[in-house]
Amino acid sequence: MTGRSLLWPLAVTLGILLVWEQAVATLRVKAVLLPRPSVIAAVIWSRGPLILEHMWPTFYQIVLGFLLALAGGVLVAVLITYSEIVRKGFYPLIVVSQIVPKVAVAPLFVVWFGLGDTSRLLLAFLIAFFPIVINTAAGLTSVDDDFVRMGRAYMGTRWQIFRKIRLPHAMPLIFGGMKISITLAVIGVVVAEFVAAQRGIGYLIVMANGLLDTPLMMAAIAALSVMGLVLYGVVAALERLVVYWQVRTETPRGGFA
Amino acid sequence: MRDSVVVDGVGKTYASGVEAIREARFRVVPGEFLSLLGPSGCGKSTLLMLIAGLLAPSHGRIRVNDAEVKGPRRDVGIVFQSPVLLPWRTVLDNVLLPVEMLRLRRADYEPRARDLLSMAKVDDFAAKLPHELSGGMKQRVAICRALVHDPALLLMDEPFSALDAMTRDQMGLELLRIWDVHKKTVVFVTHSIREAVFLSDRVLVMTPRPATIGCETDVKLPRPRTMDMQESDEFNRYVGLLRHSIETGARP
Repeated sequence: MTGRSLLWPLAVTLGILLVWEQAVATLRVKAVLLPRPSVIAAVIWSRGPLILEHMWPTFYQIVLGFLLALAGGVLVAVLITYSEIVRKGFYPLIVVSQIVPKVAVAPLFVVWFGLGDTSRLLLAFLIAFFPIVINTAAGLTSVDDDFVRMGRAYMGTRWQIFRKIRLPHAMPLIFGGMKISITLAVIGVVVAEFVAAQRGIGYLIVMANGLLDTPLMMAAIAALSVMGLVLYGVVAALERLVVYWQVRTETPRGGFA
Repeated sequence: MRDSVVVDGVGKTYASGVEAIREARFRVVPGEFLSLLGPSGCGKSTLLMLIAGLLAPSHGRIRVNDAEVKGPRRDVGIVFQSPVLLPWRTVLDNVLLPVEMLRLRRADYEPRARDLLSMAKVDDFAAKLPHELSGGMKQRVAICRALVHDPALLLMDEPFSALDAMTRDQMGLELLRIWDVHKKTVVFVTHSIREAVFLSDRVLVMTPRPATIGCETDVKLPRPRTMDMQESDEFNRYVGLLRHSIETGARP
């Protein structure tokens, strides 16, 4: 995103915050219901160390869960591409299993794996896994036959054709999956922290909720949002580096405006 | 003189039961420019894929440079209907792809790749990505790629059919110029009668599916060929002759 295209969203955000601030002050809404943005900012500042302390485990779990999903997802997609048994037997199952809302199995994971990190990691992995598998498999199998034929004509081995043709071809789709996955991994970890954790942003939100400390709750949500945004930004920046050949068109503009 | 290509009683029936080629039999001598001419879907591309070793014949045998074809060979270069350039590779890296696939040393072939690009007049674009090139330029790059590992035989499957008419004529001239320098044997598949006459030493007409080789015509126009020749009576006599044999499905 260029500096210019950031300008408008930032201006609108600022406008919303100002209206919020003014409306809450004028209507005298209690802070326990809806604190003013300035109050939330003050809490982020004054309780920063507490928020940071809880952010770290959440961040760590999200990144680890995401990376595991990426590795596992690409591996399964390769199996789908090259093994007829996996493609015919397991791929439909994988697609259908998308219907199960993954967050609903969070309590089950607590029963199986206890209150530790394993449950959180597994939920993050599970929820982030599917978009990677489906996008990578779509990318690897959608290579035009002519490209594979060309690779074979020049005596490319299966590995060479995978490495030099199929995998790069799949990259734009893999990154599409990664961008979905990283946001889902955030949801996975936080939901798991709601259910079972003694630390983490999800835990902090539940705890603040219990204390009716709405400003702290919203400060934690704000911190979580920033973290999600940064993680997404890192993946998007990597995408621009790796998928450099994609022609990026600017948002079309209307007529003679 | 030993033959570059020997197609000996070759037929191809696909697993689906479609009989693409009934019986093809011909030879190509080294340095010859041979065209396979026929209507769309007559199996001429299939025949080319058989020679390339990308498909196996149902019966008959094919020999390339005195060895039986059992799969893709390193002494063959191939150009497809579309350029099939990898969009993430620069023009130069695309040309060097066969060198990588064949596990040859890149450094040994890079000067040759650059020479080919300059002969094809796309050397200014060596460091560019394919999407920055026009259709004609992409196909020139594909021709360079087919020649980079110095194959004795060049197979071309309707390489100019996706280009506009003007670019197409130009590309024909360029191809002849490159062919003149590198002296490859060329088997060129086309459905354009004029293109076949303009480029070839010899034209084989293929009958509609299931294909056989119909008439065979030696094109005795002098070389180097020029655009003006396309207006000559002799040129148009060949065109008329071939059109007639396609229309009547004449067999030898």
